Amino acid sequence: MGKSDGRITNRIRVLRFERGEMTQQELADRAGVTRQTINAIEGGKYSPSLEVAFRIARILDTPIDAVFQYGEPEKP
Amino acid sequence: MSFHEKSLWLLFSSVGAVFALYFWLALTTLPRTGEQATLAHAGLFMGLVVLLTVIQIFGNILLALAGKLTGSMNGRVDTDERDQLIELKGARNGSLVLAAGVFCSLSAALVTPGNFVFMHLLLGFWVAAQLVETGTQLYFYRRGF
Repeated sequence: MGKSDGRITNRIRVLRFERGEMTQQELADRAGVTRQTINAIEGGKYSPSLEVAFRIARILDTPIDAVFQYGEPEKP
Repeated sequence: MSFHEKSLWLLFSSVGAVFALYFWLALTTLPRTGEQATLAHAGLFMGLVVLLTVIQIFGNILLALAGKLTGSMNGRVDTDERDQLIELKGARNGSLVLAAGVFCSLSAALVTPGNFVFMHLLLGFWVAAQLVETGTQLYFYRRGF
């Protein structure tokens, strides 16, 4: 967990809207984090711990690899 | 802006203001006995520390009440793993400043007579460390982390 280097992407925003336009605050409350953290994760500025990632995936009723994707670094 | 971030702004501004006042009074107005700090300096310092404590207590109470009134704090998580990481980064940067301050103060103690320079250099670096610690956290909250 920590500052994202931009290789980890996610579909949280899309999945929230597919789950009845769930708000960031609602997802944050259920995942036990702040709304600001959900916003940072969605914006790709922060990579959550595995525990939070699994909690978010469970709340969105989606496999974790469908929520978060890890892109291979581009070769120079 | 979360309660935690507002509380950090309060800490940053109050520490900055209170110790700016201390240094301004201690270096320009208060009488000095040679190179020694006087009881007046100690009294001023203690008074301003009490003032800082009062500002922190009442400021945080007011922020919490405002959060309750606006409903932004009702049973919600205020800090999480991201806040802890940002706090650690702030503490690391602050500790670097403090370590530099201890080294500089000890060096100054070797070359200057009395305790005035040593005491105020050490206090100055402690204040700087506090400002760097909270400033780092505010930077990461504003820039995103």
